[in-house]
Amino acid sequence: MSQLLHDEQQQGNTQQTSCSAPSSISLKELSLELSGTKILKNVSFDLSSAGINCLVGPSGAGKSSLLRCLTLLYDNWQGKITMDGIAIQSWPKGADALRRHIGLIAQKPSIFPTSIYQNVIFGLSRQERKQDQQKWVEACLRKAALWDEVCNRLFDPASTLSIGQQQRLCIARVIALNPNVLLLDEPTSSLDPRSKQLIEASLYDLAKNIPVLCVTHDLEQAQRLQGQMIFMCDGKLIETAPTNDFFQSPKRLETREFLRWSVCNCDE
Amino acid sequence: MKAVLILLALPAILLPLACFVYIIIQALPALNWELLMGSNTTSGSLFAGTAGTGHGLWGQISGSLLMMLLACFLAAPLALSIALFHALWASPYQQRMMVILLQVLQGIPPIVYGLCGLIVLVHLLHWGISLAAGGVILALVILPLLSSNAIHALERIPIAQTESAKALGLSVGAVIVRVWLPSAWSSMLTGLLLAMARALSETAPILFTATVFSGITWPDSIFSPVTSLQTHIFYLAQEGSNAHAVDMAWASAAVLLGLVLCFSLMARLLRRYEGAL
Repeated sequence: MSQLLHDEQQQGNTQQTSCSAPSSISLKELSLELSGTKILKNVSFDLSSAGINCLVGPSGAGKSSLLRCLTLLYDNWQGKITMDGIAIQSWPKGADALRRHIGLIAQKPSIFPTSIYQNVIFGLSRQERKQDQQKWVEACLRKAALWDEVCNRLFDPASTLSIGQQQRLCIARVIALNPNVLLLDEPTSSLDPRSKQLIEASLYDLAKNIPVLCVTHDLEQAQRLQGQMIFMCDGKLIETAPTNDFFQSPKRLETREFLRWSVCNCDE
Repeated sequence: MKAVLILLALPAILLPLACFVYIIIQALPALNWELLMGSNTTSGSLFAGTAGTGHGLWGQISGSLLMMLLACFLAAPLALSIALFHALWASPYQQRMMVILLQVLQGIPPIVYGLCGLIVLVHLLHWGISLAAGGVILALVILPLLSSNAIHALERIPIAQTESAKALGLSVGAVIVRVWLPSAWSSMLTGLLLAMARALSETAPILFTATVFSGITWPDSIFSPVTSLQTHIFYLAQEGSNAHAVDMAWASAAVLLGLVLCFSLMARLLRRYEGAL
């Protein structure tokens, strides 16, 4: 599937190919305050090269807010976020251009009231809609593990899909932009096991080429994805470690507590 | 308990129905094709048109529709802009203030708008009694209704959908054109149809600013006066001793009611379609 996607990129879709290389994102001393409440407190970490990174932590740890900062949906944060060495606040051509490089998939699927096909190409500009667009749509839907289920009804309303299919459609829609980094906010939290499995397979495949940061509450899922673990609690970054180390020999007390009870107890 | 509530609720259904039936019964003797499509071109006496030289309502119908269309043409873009500003750039405080001001504007008696139109547009700006003055004043009357409706239509769009569009790198303009308007157009059109019905039923704002009793079938320009169904009923009703004038008033009322009902029913049908989406 990955090969197919990259074959498509090489078929003259130069604009998309130009942003297909994996990027590195670096967060330094990221802090965020909303309505007088500190949501993020000096969070620093790097996402470099391809691979899966699982961001875990209790509710209210600031995980989703961090994703919103990374995509400039929140822009009132302090600190520094750079992508490939460029500060994202001063990204050439602004926040809209940046968001085309950083794909964000929300917890609940949000489809547009149009066809499945149109949803996939929704983010593409007129210039990006090429002659071989149909092949590109197919490649994206295959990559999101949805093609087999919708190939005969591409022009049906997207609202006719199940929730799990809609979430995979959202992934295909983001893949169509060929992002350099993929951020997911609990993408499988309300899905059935089969949809969950298909999305995980899709993420695993995508992570071969680009960094993927997946917020999840599902520790079993984090173990299955076998990536770098990032643990946050109360707006602070507590620990980062490879999956096996994180689960077998956590270094910090807060992590041990979280793993033991899945409840944060890190008030200082 | 149920019986009491039914008794209390009955007037809400029966009174409008009774009014409607009564108007139709009163209007039936005068209602005919010639009345609808014929024109009353004779000027001068208040009842020149009723003396037999042509007693159609076409001039009044076209005048009312022209003013309604002009008012909607002026108010709709403004209402959309107000709603977009409210959704995109207004702070929570500004949003609250805008909603309060729109409610205040909706509460102003239409005759006050008419008076302002008379002083500012007719006299100060020397527009005279004209279609333009009437259209502008009617636009001001329906603007709060249209704006509130557009604001609510945009508020009903799920935030997640807007954020998904933004996360795909769509600019603000693209979000408006490709996400908001396709999602909200049916609600906005419903509001527009209701505003059209409201514009058709307003009399006071155009009484001083736009209309004359007779003598005009189609205005020469936007700065010419027009005749309208609403004010026609007003003038005719003042002549209660003239049986023909009263018949004409009932017929005019029935035609006006028909037009208002038409727009209201279209709005209702559209709302049903909207619910089915």
